[in-house]
Formats: sequence, structure tokens, C-alpha cells
Amino acid sequence: MEGMTYLAVGYFGMVVGIGLWTYTVVVRSRHLSDRLDAMEAALDRLDHDGEERA
Amino acid sequence: MTTTFKKVGPPQLTMKVRVGEALLLTGFLGITGTLLLALLWAPSVSLEAFESPAAQRIFYWHVPAAWAAFIAFGALFVGSAGWLFKRSERMWRLHVAGAEAGLATGLITVWSGCVWGAAEWGTPWDWSDVRLNTFGLLTLLAVYLVLGRASQPDGIETRDTFAGFGLYGFVLVPFTYIATRIWAIRHPGPVVATGEEGSINGDMGLVLLVGAVSFTVLIVGHLLTSMLITNSEQRLLHLQRRMDGGER
Repeated sequence: MEGMTYLAVGYFGMVVGIGLWTYTVVVRSRHLSDRLDAMEAALDRLDHDGEERA
Repeated sequence: MTTTFKKVGPPQLTMKVRVGEALLLTGFLGITGTLLLALLWAPSVSLEAFESPAAQRIFYWHVPAAWAAFIAFGALFVGSAGWLFKRSERMWRLHVAGAEAGLATGLITVWSGCVWGAAEWGTPWDWSDVRLNTFGLLTLLAVYLVLGRASQPDGIETRDTFAGFGLYGFVLVPFTYIATRIWAIRHPGPVVATGEEGSINGDMGLVLLVGAVSFTVLIVGHLLTSMLITNSEQRLLHLQRRMDGGER
């Protein structure tokens, strides 16, 4: 590889790498937030059902 | 192990996540802009001074990435010390965030340095250069901490081991910082904070400043988001145990 092509590949690799990393962090954060909401809603329902039976 | 989790209500959680995400995305746009400024606007360097003047433009990412890596390793150090001496959950989350951020920025620094070294020196790495090797070791430390945490069950002993590595590994940071001042082997000497007039002109300094600010915003965004992710993971585990009937 010569000159600017080499540099372009180097830069492109970094931009794609850090872009993917940023995207992964955001997706992980949102996914966990959704799972927590679902889990808390399920637990609230379980607690509510338990109180009704009692 | 008894763990207490700070229950963050959905509106607050959403706001904090959004602040972290906003900083992450702003930082990413900033570093992309830095790249464009470096390629299209920053002045060229002297043809006599460099073997590969075009590759020198990588410096506008390499130096700010290294700066961000030092911030991340600083967070790792504070988090490790906070966990070991105060047993603080918040400090453990800072340790985790610092290790992940240190890994990402460390890899960018190493990768950009290798690209430049291959163009300028004809070799991507020099095993006799102290700066290169101490920084490489720091990045390997972050690799160990991130992969280790992912593969080991969470517990006091595991955390103590990783925090110990985070604490003592930090000694490499000042060592790396002064390496080019003491041993000028292959890595170029400092161009900022040299105590005398630097070797970069105004426009170069401006692009470097934009890069440093952008990488700082990116890394702070990552630290905030990653700390919240760790908190969410721990809360999720706690709720799963409750659901299975183990805890109330």
C-alpha cells in the first residue's frame, strides 16, 4: 500500500473501530435499561398478586 | 457478599443515561471533525523533517487519544483505590468504567502509533523504546481487566485482585509520561507542556486542542454511561435472584 491509501485505511480503521465501540456502549445501556424496566414491572405484578392472595 | 444498589428511578436513570450518551455522541462527532480538520485544514509539515509528512497528520488523533487514555487510567486508579480502601460500589463501577475506557483509548493510541511508525520509521513497533512498551503494557493491563471481569464470577476476592492490578498498574502512567523526557529513543519528544516554546504553530495547536477536548468529552461520556451500565447489570442480577425466590 502506498502513501495516502495506507493512511486512509489506518484512519478508516480507527473511525470505524471507535464508532462501533460508541454504538455498542449506547446499545448495551438501552438494552439493560429495557430489561430492568421489564423485570421491575414483573416483580411489581408478582408482589401485587401475592398481596391479593394474602 | 452483601451488596447495596442505589435504586435509580426511571426518570432519573433515563436522564443520566441520556447525559452520558449525549457526551459520547458529541465526543464522537468532535473526534470525527478533528480528523477532517487534520486531513483538510491543518498545515503541512516540513518535507525535510519527516519521512512521511502525510502520516504526521495522525498526530491530531494519536496525542488526544493518549491524553484520554491517561484520564481513563486515572479513573481506574481512583476506582481501584476506592474499592480496596472504602469498599464503595460506586468506586467499583468507576474501576470497571476506567478499565473499559482505558482499553478503547489505549487501542486507538497504539493503533494510530503503529500506523504512523510504519510510515515514518518503516516499522510499526520498536521493542527498545521505553514509551512504546510502557504504554503497550498499560493497554495490556486494560485488556486483562476487561476480559478478566467478563470471565470471572463477581465477588470480593475477584474485585480485590482486579483492583490491586488497577492500583499498581497505574505506576506505569507517570513512567510513560516521563519516558520521552528521560529516554529519547525512538518516540518523538513532547510538543506540548515542554516548559518552552513548543514546536507546533497556532493552527496545529488549535486542531490538537479540538481533538483533546473532543476525546475528553468522549471519555467522560463513556465513563458515565459505563458506570450506569455496571449499576444496571448488578441491579438486574439482584432482581433476578429476587424473582427466583432467593432474596427480598
